[in-house]
Amino acid sequence: MEVEPCENAVPTNTNPCEASESSSNADNKTHFRVCRFIMETGVKLGMHSVPVATACALYHRFFQSANLRVYEPYLVAMSAMYLAGKVEEQHLRTRDIINVCHRYLHRGSEPLELDSQFWELRDSIVQCELLILRRLNFHVSFQYPHKYLLHYLLSLKALLNRHAWARTPICETAWALLKDSYHSPLCVRHPPQHLALAVLYLALHSYGVEVPAGAVEWWQVFCEDITNSDIESIICELLQLYDMEAKCT
Amino acid sequence: MQNLRQAATEAFHRLGLKQRHLGYEELSDLEDTTYSSEPQPHWFHTLQVRRLRVQRSRSNSDPLGGKSFEQEFQWKTGLQFGTATSYLNLEKLGEGAYATVYKGISRINGHLVALKVIRMKTEEGVPFTAIREASLLKGLKHANIVLLHDIIHTRESLTFVFEYVQTDLAQYMTQHPGGLHSHNVRIFMFQLLRGLSYIHGRRILHRDLKPQNLLISYLGELKLADFGLARSKSIPSQTYSSEVVTLWYRPPDVLLGSTDYSTALDIWGAGCIFIEMLQGAPAFPGVTDVFEQLQKIWAVLGVPTEETWPGVSELPNFKPEWFLPCEPQLFRNVWKRLGQLPYKTEDLAVQMLRAAPRDRISAQDALQHAYFNTLPPPLMHLRDTVSVFKVPGVRLEAEARDIFSPGRRVRPSLTPLTKCW
Repeated sequence: MEVEPCENAVPTNTNPCEASESSSNADNKTHFRVCRFIMETGVKLGMHSVPVATACALYHRFFQSANLRVYEPYLVAMSAMYLAGKVEEQHLRTRDIINVCHRYLHRGSEPLELDSQFWELRDSIVQCELLILRRLNFHVSFQYPHKYLLHYLLSLKALLNRHAWARTPICETAWALLKDSYHSPLCVRHPPQHLALAVLYLALHSYGVEVPAGAVEWWQVFCEDITNSDIESIICELLQLYDMEAKCT
Repeated sequence: MQNLRQAATEAFHRLGLKQRHLGYEELSDLEDTTYSSEPQPHWFHTLQVRRLRVQRSRSNSDPLGGKSFEQEFQWKTGLQFGTATSYLNLEKLGEGAYATVYKGISRINGHLVALKVIRMKTEEGVPFTAIREASLLKGLKHANIVLLHDIIHTRESLTFVFEYVQTDLAQYMTQHPGGLHSHNVRIFMFQLLRGLSYIHGRRILHRDLKPQNLLISYLGELKLADFGLARSKSIPSQTYSSEVVTLWYRPPDVLLGSTDYSTALDIWGAGCIFIEMLQGAPAFPGVTDVFEQLQKIWAVLGVPTEETWPGVSELPNFKPEWFLPCEPQLFRNVWKRLGQLPYKTEDLAVQMLRAAPRDRISAQDALQHAYFNTLPPPLMHLRDTVSVFKVPGVRLEAEARDIFSPGRRVRPSLTPLTKCW
């Protein structure tokens, strides 16, 4: 299977400083596309939220140190999904991953024949899985913000006006924001508690829901070591992500 | 029962670190003469190391032998961790569902190691159990958890390098039939609960506790091994090699189909092992299926009702009409050994073997139980990585029976000899 060429051929800029910036910008776009690929194929493969998050986290951690020009990102993504299935014990078959991914990358095409090309591709996924394990040194199980978000939402629900809660889709929005955050390496850079609080903060603000004020801010009650600027920087990164989405269509 | 235990040991003999006790016969013979001038039992497995002109200190299970790493490293410069050439295979110890285990020696520092060579399947890649085991053990550093020294990657294969530990609890109980010395049981239990308390504090469940998975060093250090062999969401009844997994150590809530289990799962297993060490026979040796296993448990605890265990009737496999009516029994009437020991022994067993998972004692609380009061107090404040045998006065007692030297009491533990090196 030929995988779509990634956005490496960036038009070189005359200014070297700008060049590196635009190249990292192009990398970010590639990562965004590949993560969207992981999430969409994840849905088609029936993966739950946490294995999909694991796959994205594995992908981001891998490319934290690896060069995008050396490793094919879509292959890394496929192996990350396969590995995530093993780590989170929602086992996937390589055959299914290959077929679904092939369909995603070549819309409307026929399924792959079970020929040598198919077997080579499967071997590549297995080899690349070993490579990811090696590069991450077997640190493949992560703490997730999902469970924190759930806990925060339940606590907040008890605190807020029942009608305000019923009128506004806080839960859905926060959950969607959290899922979307995996398009970028936010999960690698921030602790899970901070990520969960930031998406909740943004969801509340989007709908103008006020949390009754106490001696300390509500988010300090949930997590002691988070500061206002932590929340702001996460939200800022999140908003850039939605900016990026517009450019990546 | 002896045969049963042996058969079980073989049947469930899935994974290595399970070697014969070659040393022990000769050892106890040698020991009879004088105390420290003659070759000593535990020199047995250090002999090869001595040939290699490396001085070993303390135990095999101590990764650096109590010395500074730099000193050890002088031994063979140029060799690094993580490469296959740094280790020498000595003998095969056992074969498991997804790995073969060899006894090996590190050419870097001369330590004995267990090399677990993971079989890679071309179509499936790295077995998920291996991934779980490595990713969990990487973060665990505790005197009662088997230590993962190193991971060797090659293009085609994967080898985990573990500390080498001489035997396991199943073999130890086979060697000393008829129940263990109550003092030794206490030391083993303390270490087991200490290990569990450590992993539970990190939200990790072992899920597959059984005597075969508890490694015992010659000093009597107990180490939890075989992490990640059990699956987390569903506990396996069959492995991929269609080997039957024992139900003996599985709690009633899981047997009844609950998937919402937590740390109490391991506590039940530890409680079963507690009884087995005292009694010399498994606590609930079911033979065929889940229902027989449950019936064995009800025969002691009584069939649960909504009053004794709120929520039990909602569990998928709970069908009271299928069970013979049973009244709860006193543990001391079921397991005679408990009647011969102080009441607090039975009390701890009762608190660990409660049918309803939320009634079971936690590992943390169990360590504070009066049963352990007779152990030296400093045990309670050890750092994670310090072995309980570092505390003065903690040592194993001689077991009453030893099948390798029948009719004769073995010399007390080997602990005092460690000063020889």
